[in-house]
Amino acid sequence: MTFLKFLIRRLLAIPLTLFVITAVLFAFIVTAPPEERAALYFPPRQPRILTDVQIQAMLERIIVEHGLDKPYPVQYANWVNDLLHGDWGWSPTFNTDVLELLLLRTPVTAELTLYSVLLLIPLGLISGVAAGWRHGGRTDAIFRFTAFLGTSIPPFILGLILLSIFYIGLRWFPTGRSGVLDVTLRRATFTPYTGFLTLDGLLNGRPDITIDAFRHLALPIFTLSLAHWATLGRVTRAAMIEEIDKEYITSARARGLYNRSVVWRHAFRNALLPALTSSILSAASLVTGVFVVEVIFNIKGLSELITKGIGAFTPDTPLALGFAVYSVLLVMPIMIVLDLLKAIADPRLREGEIAS
Amino acid sequence: MTIRRFWSIWQNRLAVVITALFVVVALAAPILAPQPDPANPSYFKVVGQNFQRIPEPPSEENILGTVPQITNLPMFGFIPGQDASYRWDVYFSLIWGTRSALRFGLLVTLATAVLGVILGALSGYIGGWFGGLLMRITDAFLTFPPIAAVWLIRRLFFQQINNPFMMPELLRPWELLLARWQIDPVMIALVMFSWMPYARLVNSTISQLKTTEYIQAAESIGASHARILFRHLLPNAITPAIVLAARDVGGLVIMASAFIFIGIGGNVVWGVILVTARDYVIGIGGNPLRYWWTFVPVTSALILFSIGWNLLGDGLNTLLNPRARR
Repeated sequence: MTFLKFLIRRLLAIPLTLFVITAVLFAFIVTAPPEERAALYFPPRQPRILTDVQIQAMLERIIVEHGLDKPYPVQYANWVNDLLHGDWGWSPTFNTDVLELLLLRTPVTAELTLYSVLLLIPLGLISGVAAGWRHGGRTDAIFRFTAFLGTSIPPFILGLILLSIFYIGLRWFPTGRSGVLDVTLRRATFTPYTGFLTLDGLLNGRPDITIDAFRHLALPIFTLSLAHWATLGRVTRAAMIEEIDKEYITSARARGLYNRSVVWRHAFRNALLPALTSSILSAASLVTGVFVVEVIFNIKGLSELITKGIGAFTPDTPLALGFAVYSVLLVMPIMIVLDLLKAIADPRLREGEIAS
Repeated sequence: MTIRRFWSIWQNRLAVVITALFVVVALAAPILAPQPDPANPSYFKVVGQNFQRIPEPPSEENILGTVPQITNLPMFGFIPGQDASYRWDVYFSLIWGTRSALRFGLLVTLATAVLGVILGALSGYIGGWFGGLLMRITDAFLTFPPIAAVWLIRRLFFQQINNPFMMPELLRPWELLLARWQIDPVMIALVMFSWMPYARLVNSTISQLKTTEYIQAAESIGASHARILFRHLLPNAITPAIVLAARDVGGLVIMASAFIFIGIGGNVVWGVILVTARDYVIGIGGNPLRYWWTFVPVTSALILFSIGWNLLGDGLNTLLNPRARR
């Protein structure tokens, strides 16, 4: 029952988080003069080139209509209202509705993130525990060296070198998202159930598409996982070293418990907490890393919106703002899952005895 | 005594040597790589002709070869005459890039650490609903990836500064300041969205220590709030923050380089050289080392920089944190 209470309390914190972030973002926006902010509400397509007088008239109409000269709280409420109604503006760069654009690109980015997280969390925990348990040994030395290299190699250079060897040289792993023709994916016989190509291929009875998608994902997943694996492993290792010197471990060993049981049932459960905390702190940087990797491997996910939007000739304020809001929505599920894992690992947290 | 302990571990010696090396190189940059035009200093030395588009191998003139710069990036002092292609001397930018990396890393780390420590100390010491609210706000900031902020800040505040056809006289005063101090959107975004770990750390340390007996003793002899906070609480909370800061420097420079690499701005010189070298790393026939001089020296410097600060952080941790000492 206490767990349910904890869950409810956590879920109640979500609106607060969203409120704080959107308020800060909007405070940014408000610093610009109303004429400039009117770009957020430009109509979808300009039918023809407008004269200066017409543009002026349009700007004034938008300012009055959306209350851009009103005080901050009123404007903020208006804006949030628009967001909740799915009215995120119109991107001149892509000539599409911003929300539609973001939703269309999400599965691509989510697929890459999901597989990387599924790979790096178990690997990071296991290698950290192994290195910490026998710290000072050979495993530990190898781990420390690799982890140091992993955090220090810039991901973009690693990605380029991998591309050069495995794509251009050996031709094992291609770039992009899929080698299957776009036409095949849009045909009526291919239903995008999940948006993840790896799963959709299986669900549609086309294992070749799945295999192809995994071949495209291999290098990005590796590049993305390496740095975050190293960070997670180092935190786990440090926590393990701290735990195994404590008396309860000595007593567990004195009772003749198997090593495996001492490590995994006693030390590991306590070492898990700092590891999860560090993961929470780096969840946002994981998403940043995803975008970097997408650009390097030419995966047309959410990151393409940044690279194209920034280079665009017409300033794309609606997309920039929409992207900022959306990336919070992207990180939050990760944070919530990690928070719940933490509460599962530590009963004291969910009983409310100690603060997170 | 503790200094001798610190020095007895080879990793710590390595850390000090590496970081000291970078500082020395940064300070001695004008001697190691003299500016071709001292009146008009730049982080890049232009060599070669407009039509040279192949990187030149190391020669006596260019110690580490050259890398062609095809397009003019408007963020580094746009030179209208040179908007075609020319080549940059790698060695020159490697040396001067040290200065830019150190400046960027230290400035951003210092600003984030100060911001985080102040907010963490406030929320920890005052506590109650105010402290709770401040920590919830910290958690909210944690969900925001800085990359999205870079775009927004650039769009809102740097539109005029980045405009190559803008006359400097027409810039507003704060825009002039930003341009003169070479502050870019990446810097602002990273400061705004990476102070949270410091705040959480300092907050938890201070709220734990606040109820201990020695603080009660200090209160009972009538010490002021400021005295308790600065004299008794902060010194305990600041050491883990220093360790965190030392570990952050390298990572921040790598992240800034990554931002430059994917083309969203920033002006860490090493990152600029690496994004220029991009096409030559892919190389010809799958041999990434075909034009090695375009990226190996700068990448090594970047890796070494990061390793140096990371090791220094680990060393400081064993020095300052009694629990990790073994």
